[in-house]
Amino acid sequence: MNFDFSETLKQWFAALVEAGKDLAGLLELEEADEKAAASGLRQGLARLAALGYLRVQTRQTDGDKNGVLALMGAMEQMAGCCPSLFLATEYSTRVFGRAVSAWGSAAQRTRWLDPLAEGVLVGAVALSEGAMNVENEPLATRGQRRGDKITIEGRKQSVVNAPAADVIAVAGSLEGEPALFLVPRAAAGLTVSPRRVTMGYAGVLIADLTLEACALAPDAVIAVPDMARMLDGLRFWENQVLVAAALGQMRMALDAARDHAKTHRSGGRPIIAYQEVGFKLAEMLTLHQTAQWLAYRAAWAAEAAPKEAQSLTLCAKIFATEAAERVCGSALQILSSTGYLKGHPAEVAYRAAKYGQIAGTSTEIARVRLGDEAMGWR
Amino acid sequence: MDFGFTKEQLMFKQEVLRFAKKEIVPRVQEHDLASAFDFAAFRKMGEFGLLGLHLPETYGGQGADVVTTVLAGEALGEAGVDGGLTLAYGAHSFLCADTLFRHGTEDQRRRYLPRLCTGEWIGCMGLSEPDAGSDVAAMSTEAVRHGDRYILNGTKMWITNGPIADVAVVYAKTDPGQKHAGISAFVVEKGTPGFSAGPPLIKMGVRTSKTSELIFKDCAIPAANLLGREGEGFLYAMQTVEWDRSALLAPFLGSITYLLKRCAEYAKGRVQFGRPIGHFQAIKHKLADIRIFGEAARALVYRIAWCKDQGRPLNHLEASVAKLFIGDWSLAVTNDAVTLHGGVGFTHEFDVERIFRDTRLAPIGGGTSEIQKMIISKLM
Ligand SMILES: Cc1cc2nc3c(=O)[nH]c(=O)nc-3n(C[C@H](O)[C@H](O)[C@H](O)COP(=O)(O)OP(=O)(O)OC[C@H]3O[C@@H](n4cnc5c(N)ncnc54)[C@H](O)[C@@H]3O)c2cc1C
Ligand SMILES: Cc1cc2nc3c(=O)[nH]c(=O)nc-3n(C[C@H](O)[C@H](O)[C@H](O)COP(=O)(O)OP(=O)(O)OC[C@H]3O[C@@H](n4cnc5c(N)ncnc54)[C@H](O)[C@@H]3O)c2cc1C
Repeated sequence: MNFDFSETLKQWFAALVEAGKDLAGLLELEEADEKAAASGLRQGLARLAALGYLRVQTRQTDGDKNGVLALMGAMEQMAGCCPSLFLATEYSTRVFGRAVSAWGSAAQRTRWLDPLAEGVLVGAVALSEGAMNVENEPLATRGQRRGDKITIEGRKQSVVNAPAADVIAVAGSLEGEPALFLVPRAAAGLTVSPRRVTMGYAGVLIADLTLEACALAPDAVIAVPDMARMLDGLRFWENQVLVAAALGQMRMALDAARDHAKTHRSGGRPIIAYQEVGFKLAEMLTLHQTAQWLAYRAAWAAEAAPKEAQSLTLCAKIFATEAAERVCGSALQILSSTGYLKGHPAEVAYRAAKYGQIAGTSTEIARVRLGDEAMGWR
Repeated sequence: MDFGFTKEQLMFKQEVLRFAKKEIVPRVQEHDLASAFDFAAFRKMGEFGLLGLHLPETYGGQGADVVTTVLAGEALGEAGVDGGLTLAYGAHSFLCADTLFRHGTEDQRRRYLPRLCTGEWIGCMGLSEPDAGSDVAAMSTEAVRHGDRYILNGTKMWITNGPIADVAVVYAKTDPGQKHAGISAFVVEKGTPGFSAGPPLIKMGVRTSKTSELIFKDCAIPAANLLGREGEGFLYAMQTVEWDRSALLAPFLGSITYLLKRCAEYAKGRVQFGRPIGHFQAIKHKLADIRIFGEAARALVYRIAWCKDQGRPLNHLEASVAKLFIGDWSLAVTNDAVTLHGGVGFTHEFDVERIFRDTRLAPIGGGTSEIQKMIISKLM
């Protein structure tokens, strides 16, 4: 047992925070238009690549930094600096990247993962469809072999990075077998909708996809062993990202609210001196710390106790994402008019928080799964 | 960072689980109904080595590390041991025996610890008073030095094991002019003239632990019964907070695991609308929330134990976070567990109602949730 991160990791986290804060100031992604968001993402990736951040779990780095637990710690730092850059980076690196790393051939790994780790390639994963939640319906996106090509038909919704990506991993089936189609952004037959405007993560480029007779070379297909494993794997990585995002949101909101409560005076005293404010902060900190340790334990389990890892990650996701909404909401209450201004870190975090409960394994489906597991039905 | 336990720690946890299921659990409901302390179970815990688990072998203990001690507490809860017995164990082993070990003289250690470790004697700790609960430094019990004696006057309130204790660690003011710095710790034996316990209080939960006042009326004790040094009592009391936030919280962790199993079994067996209620998502939701709470609480407690094993001073902010979280959140899930059982959940036929009542102490005992929030907001 050991509850400390190593000194090497702590130093690395500090370097990430420094870079993250710099990038947040420099890129101003939350206010960016489509062009600025796309170029901001590239600039961000280049800086993060230099810190080895983009290699974790896709391209081996030194042992200490490559574990899931180290990744959770690192993602948490980044998420707390620059939410939009974080989300875009992670869907590219940790969801797209890990899918290629886990199921791609050696040639596919070299082709896609090296530039990904160098920060010169942006990836996306398109999973959700019309009735988007894959829990209820089988995927309708299908590929067929036509001569030496494979053609795909399908529609995907709300794909992070789609307008900016170089390549999109589209989940579907190839003649009945589960597959990930690696569709270059410029592929004929791929249409990307105009950017979707979302409540939070204003700096992330999100769009829908239509694939009509979209032709690919056979080496652009990743054959995945089975559909359930593919869906579970993609959701698992996405869930880890969303847990880290929630931790980051809580830290942003909590830090802002605490600093404000200590310095802002009302009735002759700093407002933290009022129990209505001070106790709220205590509850917020408690939620944050509890979520943090649960997240670390779930990340640890991903390697040390794989049997428990799926369900612990669901526990962490439900708890952290719900806690994030509460913590950010309370922060806005404490910050009052200051926090209500557009662009305030607590306001940005609050708007982003809801997404964590919807995306990945949704909170409802996660609870159903945990309930089934408790009864031995899973 | 590594959240794993050693093989030995896990094996010991299993041993405690087996022991508790066989020797204690079969009588839990009966004792709870009668609000009776299970003396036989307590002695068996002593024979098994639980009562002095963390104390050195020289004094009859087992010399276990703190993480192992926490796992043992968790195993008790997981086996289905009630919150009354685990509270009695906690007050005895950590609030009383540990203070005697840390601050007692060699004579005091040799006199009390071996008997406390076997369970031949039962220990208690008296800090709270009728008018000094959250604000313990406002205590009014006094110890006045007269030659080679101290004369104690005052009343302690809410004392776990009070009516059945053979020895008490008692906090009293030796300098009433001061707040914290005026408090000293003493050891007082049952039968000392002027010392008595009030009748057991009738409580909502933790009924198998006996709780009462400790009353001191011109109670003369030898000056040698001072523990440690005059004026340092508050410090000693605060040192027990580490145990309060680790070993005393551990049975809660275990009882949540137990509760989840009980609820899952019931959900699978109870049929309504033609199918087991476990098929309804609202029931799954409750099961999920019990699981999530248990998992979320776990690392908070293990962490405090691990830091103590490393010899690190207690981080009061983190300790209060653990207490606040477990105290407040445990209520919702134990409440849900009763609802999940419907009408039988409200009866003594199933132990979920007892677990709910026992857990109700969590945000009160050992410092209320409000006091934890006060500490956190001051330290953050
Ligand atoms: C900003 C944003 C970015 C996204 N990025 C991506 C991306 O990059 N790639 C991608 O593939 N997808 C992406 N998504 C899609 C996301 O994964 C889906 O929104 C999510 O899976 C939920 O699907 P839905 O919105 O269709 O809701 P629905 O599935 O229609 O669910 C609606 C509600 O019903 C509940 N529900 C549904 N089924 C059940 C059930 N069986 N039991 C109990 N409750 C149920 C849900 O939990 C939810 O509360 C993104 C979404 C957003 C908003
Ligand atoms: C079953 C049981 C066993 C116990 N065992 C022991 C034992 O073995 N030894 C021992 O010494 N003590 C023991 N206690 C006492 C326990 O520690 C106290 O009950 C607890 O500290 C609260 O004190 P109180 O009951 O006097 O409540 P009070 O201090 O009177 O508090 C009443 C309410 O006011 C709130 N409050 C108080 N001050 C503030 C403030 N400044 N701001 C906001 N809210 C405030 C409290 O949170 C609480 O909600 C036990 C109690 C119980 C119920």
